[in-house]
Amino acid sequence: MNGVGAVARYTMLELSRRRILLVFFLLGAVGLLIFGFGFRFLYSFASSGGLGSSSNLDPATFDRLLQLQFLSYLYGALSTFALLIGFGIGMTAIYHDLDSGAAVSLLSKPITRFAFALGKIVAAIGSLVLIVGVLALEARLVMLLFPGGLESSLTGQVIATTANTVVVMLIVLALSTWMNNIVAAIVAFVYYNVITGVITTVHMFFDSGAFHNDLVKTVFDVLYWTVPHALVSSAPGDLVRAQLQIENQSGNTTTFAFVPSASGGGDIAWWAFMVVVFSGLVYLAVRRRQV
Amino acid sequence: MAAVVSVRDLRKRYRRRDPWAVDGVTLELGAGQAFGLLGPNGAGKTSVVKMIAGLLRPDGGAITVFGSSPGDPAARAQLGFAPEDPDFPKFLRAAEVLDYFSSLLGLDDAERKRRIPETLAFAGLESERRQIRQYSKGMKQRLGIAQAILGRPKLLILDEPTADLDPLGRRDVRALIERLKQSGVAILLNSHLLSEVELVCDTVAIMAKGRVLKEGTMSEVVPEGRNLEDVFVQLVETNQMPRDHLPSFITDKDGTV
Repeated sequence: MNGVGAVARYTMLELSRRRILLVFFLLGAVGLLIFGFGFRFLYSFASSGGLGSSSNLDPATFDRLLQLQFLSYLYGALSTFALLIGFGIGMTAIYHDLDSGAAVSLLSKPITRFAFALGKIVAAIGSLVLIVGVLALEARLVMLLFPGGLESSLTGQVIATTANTVVVMLIVLALSTWMNNIVAAIVAFVYYNVITGVITTVHMFFDSGAFHNDLVKTVFDVLYWTVPHALVSSAPGDLVRAQLQIENQSGNTTTFAFVPSASGGGDIAWWAFMVVVFSGLVYLAVRRRQV
Repeated sequence: MAAVVSVRDLRKRYRRRDPWAVDGVTLELGAGQAFGLLGPNGAGKTSVVKMIAGLLRPDGGAITVFGSSPGDPAARAQLGFAPEDPDFPKFLRAAEVLDYFSSLLGLDDAERKRRIPETLAFAGLESERRQIRQYSKGMKQRLGIAQAILGRPKLLILDEPTADLDPLGRRDVRALIERLKQSGVAILLNSHLLSEVELVCDTVAIMAKGRVLKEGTMSEVVPEGRNLEDVFVQLVETNQMPRDHLPSFITDKDGTV
């Protein structure tokens, strides 16, 4: 389609020169390094018996637990930086063209609003995947500081993190076409992290049998299918399983009940549907926007 | 000969309770004609040209550009629009902006290699390596005109094209308009600079409060022995509330001024 490639290419070029994304990326890159070397230092300290007296565990077990803890924090840090970068892209990719008046010159050219919106979405997703991909590569290198064993979980975790960030980024992108980009980011955060979080959590409690009320359960069953569902990789389960194996408690099903299992085909299909819905909202917002 | 732009009873307002920003404007523009749209601030000139360029949706009336709706990309492919206070993606350079717009215009590589340096040279930006965010208003205005002519349009819409230009830049824009007119390009010029409009336009429409007060060829609108500014001031003042032009603290006899 005429113009999609050009809009995507030059939006990515512009995003790559924006300081806010560079700052988020550098924070992420430096943060992961500090994080890895910090844990490595703790690990070395523990291996040399520095913490032996304060722990009931033998040094080998303690090292392994420390490594699992490191991975758990690493995945959390990756998700946080991916989300920051997603917000950064969503807040700027379309909004700055509209706010500065650049859209006036752009949209007077023979390009449809659909092609313009699609080009922006392609650029936003492409930039996110590229930046998170580089951070993930760095995370993989940082993991070399520790004995291996759970490397494969990183790939799934990065894919799930990126997929979830794409959804929130599209929400910000659509809202920032209607309103100020900071307000858009706040609204998107409240919708995705607070409202969706509450609905998903309550729904999970009803599903696990912790709550009992048929009417409320029905309400939350309906609400659950109106919000995006965060995709979950096998990594959290893998980490808990490894931890339980170490502690010889693998039969402890109570702990497992609160660890979400990896998303299945239905969740992935719902995610894809949500991406289409929010991309559609971006297009509608761009189409309705008068410049 | 079919009109390049045909506007019939055009209406636009930005909010339901607001007065009409454009109220029943009708105009027609043919090939090789230069049409001047004049009016005080808030007259509705920019709204009219933005609707012709397909950037704003009219609330009433009809517009055709080369016989099609302004929303049709095929119509916009023949149109060049230099907006008032133009801006561009801030982190790109002038050559990148023109390359971006060339892609949107569907120009092939050979055409880009020919047109981009020549257009940059016309705009006096050929040796400029800074990003747009570091440009002055005048430089952005020159780039705005450059991108408008990049696609060799058959209709060129210029919204206050010389407001931020120095006298040399203004002279270049006048020469450009003359040259394009001769080659059959229709020009729609929106300007406060009446002397400029008088020099380059064949037809003018004077607007105020969204309405066209007077329209015709330059000789029809400006009687012999008068100039465009006199006609403009008289027309606009008879159509708006009289106002005291100077604040009282300026005219006060005890004041220091």
